[in-house]
Amino acid sequence: MLHAAAWFVWLIAALVIVSATRNPLYLTLATAAFMTTARAIRRPDELSAAPLAPGRFALYVVPLAALINALLSRTGDTVLLAIPRAWPLIGGPLTAEALVYGALNGLLLTALFTAFTVLNLAVPVRDLIRFIPRAFYPVAVVASIAITFAPTTLRQMQQIREAQAIRGHRMRRLRDWLPLFMPLLVGGLERALQLAEAMAARGFASDGGTVHAARAQAACHERSRMVSIAGLLGILGGGLLAAWQQPFWGTALILSGSAAIVAALWLTGRSIPHTTYRRAPWGYREWLVVGGALVAAAAFLGWGQGSRMYNPYPALTWPVFETLAGTTLLGLLLPALVVNEHDVDSTANPR
Amino acid sequence: MIDFAHVTYTYPDAARPALRDVSLSIPDSAFALVVGSSGAGKSTLLRCLNGLVPHFSGGTLTGRIVVDGLDPVAATPSVMSRAVGFVFQDPEAQFVMDRVEDEIAFALENAAIPPEEMEARIADALALLRLTPLRRRKLDTLSGGEKQRVALAAALALRPRILALDEPTSQLDPQSAAELLEALVQLNKSLGLTVVLAEHRLERILPFADQVIYLPDDGAPALAGPPREILPRVPLLPPLQSLAQALGWSPLPLTMEEGSAFSRQLSAISGQRSAVGGQQDTVGAVVEAQGLEAAYGQTMALRGVDVALHRGEIVALLGRNGAGKTTLLKSLVGLLRPRRGEVWVEGRSIAKDDVADVCRRVGYLPQDPNALLFADTVLEELHITLRNHGSAVEDAPIAPEVLLERLGLADKAQRYPRDLSVGERQRVALGAIMVTQPGALLLDEPTRGLDYRAKAQLLDLLRAWRDEGLAILLVTHDVELVAEAADRAMIMDQGAIIAQGNSADVLRASPTFMPQIARLFPASEWLTVADALYGLSCASTPSS
Repeated sequence: MLHAAAWFVWLIAALVIVSATRNPLYLTLATAAFMTTARAIRRPDELSAAPLAPGRFALYVVPLAALINALLSRTGDTVLLAIPRAWPLIGGPLTAEALVYGALNGLLLTALFTAFTVLNLAVPVRDLIRFIPRAFYPVAVVASIAITFAPTTLRQMQQIREAQAIRGHRMRRLRDWLPLFMPLLVGGLERALQLAEAMAARGFASDGGTVHAARAQAACHERSRMVSIAGLLGILGGGLLAAWQQPFWGTALILSGSAAIVAALWLTGRSIPHTTYRRAPWGYREWLVVGGALVAAAAFLGWGQGSRMYNPYPALTWPVFETLAGTTLLGLLLPALVVNEHDVDSTANPR
Repeated sequence: MIDFAHVTYTYPDAARPALRDVSLSIPDSAFALVVGSSGAGKSTLLRCLNGLVPHFSGGTLTGRIVVDGLDPVAATPSVMSRAVGFVFQDPEAQFVMDRVEDEIAFALENAAIPPEEMEARIADALALLRLTPLRRRKLDTLSGGEKQRVALAAALALRPRILALDEPTSQLDPQSAAELLEALVQLNKSLGLTVVLAEHRLERILPFADQVIYLPDDGAPALAGPPREILPRVPLLPPLQSLAQALGWSPLPLTMEEGSAFSRQLSAISGQRSAVGGQQDTVGAVVEAQGLEAAYGQTMALRGVDVALHRGEIVALLGRNGAGKTTLLKSLVGLLRPRRGEVWVEGRSIAKDDVADVCRRVGYLPQDPNALLFADTVLEELHITLRNHGSAVEDAPIAPEVLLERLGLADKAQRYPRDLSVGERQRVALGAIMVTQPGALLLDEPTRGLDYRAKAQLLDLLRAWRDEGLAILLVTHDVELVAEAADRAMIMDQGAIIAQGNSADVLRASPTFMPQIARLFPASEWLTVADALYGLSCASTPSS
């Protein structure tokens, strides 16, 4: 499993490349690279496949975008079908250029969608939560619990629906929701209590646990609260000064106010005794993925200069394909290669 | 290691204390079993060990508790978490994270263990419970037994000296429960961990326990000591100990081996069973299914199952978790439409019937009766079912009050169902189902979480209904219940019925499902204590 940050760099490189081109050849190639990556990182033991496969997404979106654009845009030299102008809304010439331009938009959307699908498959939501600053540790825990709670609640809903169906319950009026809602609510509250108890039993305490730690933490929170209030006042005052034609002092005050708030967050974070479990240490695979993605993006921007853009208007032409620029896109495939290799020993003890 | 001196604890707004003047002491490295009926204070006692009582629950606690040199009342649960690992009843309700390794890391993160050491501790905890191959798995892809082992590993991550477990096997099938117990015994023996465990199914634990703590529910003082001292004073015991007491075996056998040493000395064992089964009417089946096939996605859940359920019989359906038992029940009432095969109720196919219509003729009690209950009073629950089926309370096939009387709930008619005990709640759910007087009743693991008394009450009820002609299908892991109640038994595995017939034959043929009495007297046909006592008295009468 790759480090979440490596995946972020990969995603940013992918987004830069996709948004820098309108050439359908490059877009298709990039999408293919993303799909290959998605296929490579999907673990067989996880039933959670992407809810909407990128292939199916393309199947819907590309024709739809083409059609909509053809109906909205009436320019272009190659007229496929001349609908009488008198017809409301759809009247006017239907051009091949407009169809192609629309399909291109659909392709772009597909590429973006696929890139995000990869991130979704690669990085558990839990890892995203780890990026929440430590000062908000309780918030992070609550967020992670909400993620676990949602599927359980759905399962429970199913159970309750069945239980009510077997005693002859039918859904006819609004009132009929009550037999489903009440057990769900009560059951959810009971489960929340149980979970809170389980968390307390495993040492989760927002107050640091002991009386002494709680007191020290409260004092620290008090200090950082003062600091952040001062910071907010600084930003406010800076804004006012800037409005009063004092740009230098205004900017200075805003900057120092922001610094004070960051410091307050850091102070609070430090007072919470807590460490984070690092699932994947940063290793050569991460360097490979990050390096590959960055080189691909830079090289594509440089070498693809002449062929990146493509415009079907006013008359259709065949898009230019530069082999060098196309090859750089393969840099985005690196995760697929290294993840495969890593998966084999993922069950082995890392130490 | 653990000392309680005159501990009395009352929950907030409770009329009487949950623990009354409890004094006990549990030595280092003991394996202590906490017994008592539901509501006797077993969970409360366990929660005193790590300070969840009173820190989490509120209420008033008097007396003195010392656990591993610490006072859990002065310290907080967060401090106690390093000394006491805690495992709860429902493996799913205690998970905070969604992956095995993250779940184990949670306690370590809270305790601010440095990341390098964390790695080693997680690896240790995984290895101890043989979970290493599952390390990166998502928790919802694990089986119930695996989940409970993850919960145990998570509790062990902080390397506590004491493990407290609140009915940890009640949600598991017998094999998974045995695996969990094996892990616990190993931790107790090899690491010297003190284990304190509350449980209803004593037969599973007694062979390993070296301390028993009995909490009587009549307010008498708690008893603690070696099993042989305490057990004779506990009212409801597993078959082995009940028989041993009836026959005056001394010292009281705790394991099957000790019991067999006594039973082998008895000669002249007649084969007959004491109880006569229900009067089965084999002419027409109330519920019948042929060639049922069902699947969840690519996984086959049922592979050609034939079942027939007749008036006046109790049929038990046994099998591991995931064998397809619940799927079969759901198919029989139309909650799940089979891919192939057909179901007939009272001779009519249900293929085109509404679930509600089928369920008026076939009652189905799901695993969790809580999913059923939502009304303000017990009586109202019964009325709601009648209204659902569009019939007036006056026209009900059985008056709700009469049914409540039979369920032993007559005095609870105006109570809020969710305030009742587990056993009572289940009987309310039964009432809500049986008020339409169906010809058949299907029950999914009805004894889960029930103490011996509630189980006996349920058993009496089912037998009475059977004798009046009800057809009953019982899905259960509880072998002793099958031995007591079932006329026929079926064993299911991977979606197919692999054994069926007379319950004595089926149970005795399977090494996993053999009841204690059958193990004690392998040459007989006996399944229950009553069988054995009856058989032994028959054997001794002619000679005297």
